[in-house]
Amino acid sequence: MAMKHNINNPNFYCNGHGELKPAERSRFSRREALSLGLLGAGLLWANPRTALAQAAIRKGGTGHTLVVIFLRGGADGLNIVTPFAEDEYYKNRPSLAIANPKSGGLEKDRLIGLDDFFGMNPALASLRQAWDAGELAWVQAVGSQDQTHSHFEAMNTMERGLKNQADQSSGGWLARYLNATSDQNHPLRAVSFSSILPDSLMGSPAALAVNNISDFKLTSESEQFAATLEAMYSNATDQMARAGEETLQVLKSLEGVDPNSYKPNNGATYPVSQLGQGMKQVGMLIRRGLGLEVACLESLGWDSHVAQGTTEGWLTELLRDLGDSIGALHKDLGAEMKNVTVVVQTEFGRRVGENSGLGTDHGSASCMMVLGGGINGGKVYTEWPGLAPEQLADPGDLKVTTDYRSVLTEVMSSRIGFTDAQSLFPGFKPNSIGLA
Amino acid sequence: MKITRREALLAAGGAAFLTGCGPLSNRTRAASQQPATLPRVGDDPYVSAVNRFGFGPTPGQVDQMREHTLEQWFESQLLPDESEPQELNWMLGRMEINYLGPYDLRDWREEAIVMQMQQAAILRAVYSPWQLRERMVDFWTNHLNIYAKKGLAVYRKPMDEREVVRKHALGNFRDMIHASSKSTAMLVYLDQQASTKAHPNENYARELLELHTLGVNGGYTQLDVMEAARCFTGWSEERRFMRPRGAFRFIEGIHDKKEKTFLGEKIPAGGGVEDGERVVNLALDHPATGRYLATKLCRYFLGHTDSSSVEAVATAYRDKQGDIPSMMRVVFAEYQKRNEPVVKRPLDYVASSMRAVQASSDAGQEVLKRMEQMGQPLYLWPMPDGYPLETDSWTGSLLARWNFAHDLAHRSVKGSLVDIKKLTKETGASAIPSIVFGQSDGELINHFASVTAGLEPRMAASACLASPEFQWR
Repeated sequence: MAMKHNINNPNFYCNGHGELKPAERSRFSRREALSLGLLGAGLLWANPRTALAQAAIRKGGTGHTLVVIFLRGGADGLNIVTPFAEDEYYKNRPSLAIANPKSGGLEKDRLIGLDDFFGMNPALASLRQAWDAGELAWVQAVGSQDQTHSHFEAMNTMERGLKNQADQSSGGWLARYLNATSDQNHPLRAVSFSSILPDSLMGSPAALAVNNISDFKLTSESEQFAATLEAMYSNATDQMARAGEETLQVLKSLEGVDPNSYKPNNGATYPVSQLGQGMKQVGMLIRRGLGLEVACLESLGWDSHVAQGTTEGWLTELLRDLGDSIGALHKDLGAEMKNVTVVVQTEFGRRVGENSGLGTDHGSASCMMVLGGGINGGKVYTEWPGLAPEQLADPGDLKVTTDYRSVLTEVMSSRIGFTDAQSLFPGFKPNSIGLA
Repeated sequence: MKITRREALLAAGGAAFLTGCGPLSNRTRAASQQPATLPRVGDDPYVSAVNRFGFGPTPGQVDQMREHTLEQWFESQLLPDESEPQELNWMLGRMEINYLGPYDLRDWREEAIVMQMQQAAILRAVYSPWQLRERMVDFWTNHLNIYAKKGLAVYRKPMDEREVVRKHALGNFRDMIHASSKSTAMLVYLDQQASTKAHPNENYARELLELHTLGVNGGYTQLDVMEAARCFTGWSEERRFMRPRGAFRFIEGIHDKKEKTFLGEKIPAGGGVEDGERVVNLALDHPATGRYLATKLCRYFLGHTDSSSVEAVATAYRDKQGDIPSMMRVVFAEYQKRNEPVVKRPLDYVASSMRAVQASSDAGQEVLKRMEQMGQPLYLWPMPDGYPLETDSWTGSLLARWNFAHDLAHRSVKGSLVDIKKLTKETGASAIPSIVFGQSDGELINHFASVTAGLEPRMAASACLASPEFQWR
């Protein structure tokens, strides 16, 4: 892996096509892109009902949307981006290994070859197109320094953007980004498709938790109730009150937006799962040009202690749902993917050796996915630590060789144009990876 | 009182607590909005106490409480009997989950079991006079969280809620953890039943230490987790034909009988079920356990974790061998010294709303749907750490609360009735703020008198329930 660039290297602002741009310049170009997008939005949204709603669009943020999908439970990175060229992989996983891409049998039962070392789980077949288009990159052996093997600690560490729990930086890393750029104050900057805000958005009054955009309205049509809410939630003095102010703003900006009548482009079909339907709404909000900057989604149930299966079973279903959801967004947005970056992360990987329950216990490193128009994709980025016993971290884990914050820093600076890595990850010195 | 509390708060750096996070970096601080201040909540000590140690006041409740001192009220709450109001008894008596076991429930639909459990919890929180017990149940069921839809756990969950959580809610913590360690709902949830000597599964052992007893920084190591997991091998459940399916069963044949070392103690070779029991006892005896539990109780009941308060509660844990009422007496004393606002979780919000306007509710499907929209479908938090307490977790779902506030007061929540005429019969419509907030005067009531001026009684009640102030307990 290319690790020679330091974050201070001007190459870091490379836009992904080998063209160098100072940060300010690139932000300006995004503004231009945004105003073009606005014409489109005006057409799509023929009847914006309130002046405030229009103002909201005009003020819209960076023009780039970051979509973060968190796989909760610790996803088995070794069975997602599989090192099929390592004999140790097959030795450690007599019942759980996935067959070499060149082995016989059905395509659905063997890995999708990525290079001569790694293969992708066949359940992710929907991502093949993005991979072939060079818009999908994998990072393998990535993780945090968390040593607890605890879901909560490890998730909290990652979502708050910490080295480990000893790090005292406050709030979530995405909240820090939103707060640091709060001059771009407009509604709907950040949405989490969940009923509770994830740790990454904690501390941001601009963030909203929504299960379904179509439920996001006042059930009462009484103007008196709306006016009373406005009165009670203006001049907010506490945290809930501030959140209420934001909520009222978002209600206005979403007037007339109906996900039920949304038709995805290019024949894209989103899965009916919660993740799939969340992604569909992300697609809709992006195409509506509402200025969405951050979308958080989650996929639950990756804690595969028991009977995780190989190319069939529930883990396969989770992967298929993930691949189909992201694949649908990629197809739906088409060329608009140039202003969208999807990041997939998980709190840790699984142990290299399988357990007696045909599952795997909590491990260390896993993989991350980055997908988007300007990604240097079609490549697995890794400083591969190896799977031989002496190459593992205690007590039998894939070693973390890339800090997850390096990946996020690169995405934020190269794709979003936010270069103040120190305010996102205080005290952290990122390595350049070269994926964006 | 308000000013002194505010001063105390600022002195303690409480402003940072209220934003839910520590000091922000300079850049972030400059960019964020005005600093958070205290939410405006009531300053009547009786009202505050029923909000914090119960699910909020009902109209007239606080006046009755004033016949006694707050300490007397708290003591009486520590000794609940089985008596419940007739209506509540009648509702609960019709719910099979209150007495059926795993085997009896085997043909039930998962959803039906979960729904009855959710319904029962809300009904108790709203209508039981034993408010502290219901508060403690909420605390413990989250402390020992079990995701109801994890595999077969759903059939075992009602038994866990009865025999582990409710039974020991105001009993002894040690008994509760021992009961939990043999609760098959917990063992299934954390994959313990699949753990064998050849390949011990660490999941239950880890959460026992990390979440139930010592806490994540309690001083145990990964090796302790692995050794504890070996001690628990064979802790499984009865699945044999013509046996009480779903009961705890120790399977000797898959138990690891070799010697183990846990938290520095040798556990000799040749043991059986007592190996795991020893692990539970060693965890309960560990000084980190009292501190961890004290910290959680303080956060939940005081809204802060000052070391002096935590130490006082931890001392009660140690001196009284895990007796929960003894710990709670100290919690209450510390609460009276200093407390900070705690945000209402959706159960708190729904129950306190219903209590405030004396709703007659079946806590049925419509209410459960609203709870889900607010982010707390009970018993369905997938991870073992329980629903979060931090304000930050709940700022994103206010809209669902507003809709509930409006619809409850306007009789649009199916199965929940509010008799607004009866509610205002003696006092008149202008008394709505006093009724909802449970106190007759003060700054808070003056504020809401002007907010609700000119509004119809139902709209005035909607406004009070939907207000920023009503989001805190």
